[in-house]
Amino acid sequence: MTNPLGPTLEAATAPKFLPDPAWVDASGRGVTVAMIDSGVDASHPDLAGRIFEEVGAKIEGSKVTFESVDDGDLAGHGTACAGIIARLAPDAKIASIRVLGASGSGDAQIFLAGLEYAVKKRYKIINLSLGTTKPQFFAPLHDLLDRAYQAGCIIIAAANNLPQPSFPSIFSSSLISVVKSEEPDPLKFGFHYGEVIELTAPGVSIRTPWLNGGYRTLTGNSFACPHITGLLARLVETHPELTPFQAKSALYAIARRNSKLERADRRPADA
Amino acid sequence: MPESRSDEFLLRLQSLFRIMDAERLLTDPIKDAMTELLRTSAARLRAEGASVLVQTAADSGDLKFLAATGEVADRIVGLEIPAGKGIAGFVLMSGQPLVVSEPDDESGFYAEVDKTTGFSTKLLLAVPLRFRDDVIGVLEYVNRNSEPFSEPFTPAEMDIAAAYADAVAALVNAHLGAELMCGLSKRMLKEDAEDDAEVRAWLHSMRENSAHVRALELAALVSELSSKGDAEVELCRTLLESVIGYSRSTSVKLDLA
Repeated sequence: MTNPLGPTLEAATAPKFLPDPAWVDASGRGVTVAMIDSGVDASHPDLAGRIFEEVGAKIEGSKVTFESVDDGDLAGHGTACAGIIARLAPDAKIASIRVLGASGSGDAQIFLAGLEYAVKKRYKIINLSLGTTKPQFFAPLHDLLDRAYQAGCIIIAAANNLPQPSFPSIFSSSLISVVKSEEPDPLKFGFHYGEVIELTAPGVSIRTPWLNGGYRTLTGNSFACPHITGLLARLVETHPELTPFQAKSALYAIARRNSKLERADRRPADA
Repeated sequence: MPESRSDEFLLRLQSLFRIMDAERLLTDPIKDAMTELLRTSAARLRAEGASVLVQTAADSGDLKFLAATGEVADRIVGLEIPAGKGIAGFVLMSGQPLVVSEPDDESGFYAEVDKTTGFSTKLLLAVPLRFRDDVIGVLEYVNRNSEPFSEPFTPAEMDIAAAYADAVAALVNAHLGAELMCGLSKRMLKEDAEDDAEVRAWLHSMRENSAHVRALELAALVSELSSKGDAEVELCRTLLESVIGYSRSTSVKLDLA
């Protein structure tokens, strides 16, 4: 298949990222990652010392505010995602922005407020496992995603694989959307330019931290998402000025290189 | 117009019977269809049990089990999970289907539910129930019904569950509509009976007393049969009179068990 973006992009990106093995060995040092999720069990042995902020949504009238919380994770999901990020980028600092568990939590308004909180704080990488199908949130989310893009925040969202479009994962311009693959190698992902959801990453039978110091084996797109988040934390460590656009280009170039190498590996056996 | 107080009471009773009949007619077939769909989909997914959770009020985030199949179905229906708690709470808010497994966890990992039911959840598949643009509940499948019992639910099974979820969501929505109708009728009756302590007391005792509920079920059967025609009414009357006649003549309680 020919590169749909032409040779220029790959040529421009490749010298910068591909021959430079630094990011492969990086650990996310100095990088802040925000997680909009169910909270996090910061006392889990895999996460000790990695969570630098824990806030939870609070509703006052029609306003959503965030305040410091210490009662951890209400569902286990956030802990699972943080565990995946920590495995790939053990030195990244994670901010847990809890949008689950506030009264009236069926409302997408809270998750929008959580995203806005992270963008205002200019957290470099934002992991988003939530979405909404309510059309009234299309415009506000689109606007917020554009603001994030302009602020240099790289947002990674989990797709939901269901017939109805879910926002923001179907937006393609200002965020990175991920769907699960059965790939066992945590560092191996795919980039499918032209698809609504461009990235695939491991998301099937992932063993990761859970509540009360335990572990669970999990499957879902929301576990593919933190794989890309962790990988980007490594990239940002070696390239702190990485913009959302460059992040996507780099992922594209790396995925292409991976599949080329894989094809080259297979060739002798095929012959 | 009622001529006496007892006539008025009788009219109220009749209207109450009509409401209770309507309630059963509206909600029961939908719940039955839902349970049947849970049963067939659970068999297809090799799951030991299945359940439907719905929000107790729109956008509240609080969930309650509306229908279930499997070993602990009776104990699980009616259980509530507060907003944002547990796997179901996350699936409701995120709209994300999830598979969780821990086959070696002897006590089961679904603490919010296992504690009450005594069930041990080792494998769980949860998908959101969507209706139009809203997530209105969660559909869950637990454990395997056959070997290999420890095999986690697969991505392909998540897709199958998501397809069943569309059908279940349509039924849940119909059920919510039926409940709304019943709620309106009940409220009208309550307002009607506001100044009638006698009717209210009777209504209360009937709801509390299982013998009355059984009598009502019998009344519903008779009412259904009677609607077929005069011959059926006659048959009902003859049958009931014969049973009562026999019961009186022997002066003992019938032991039909």
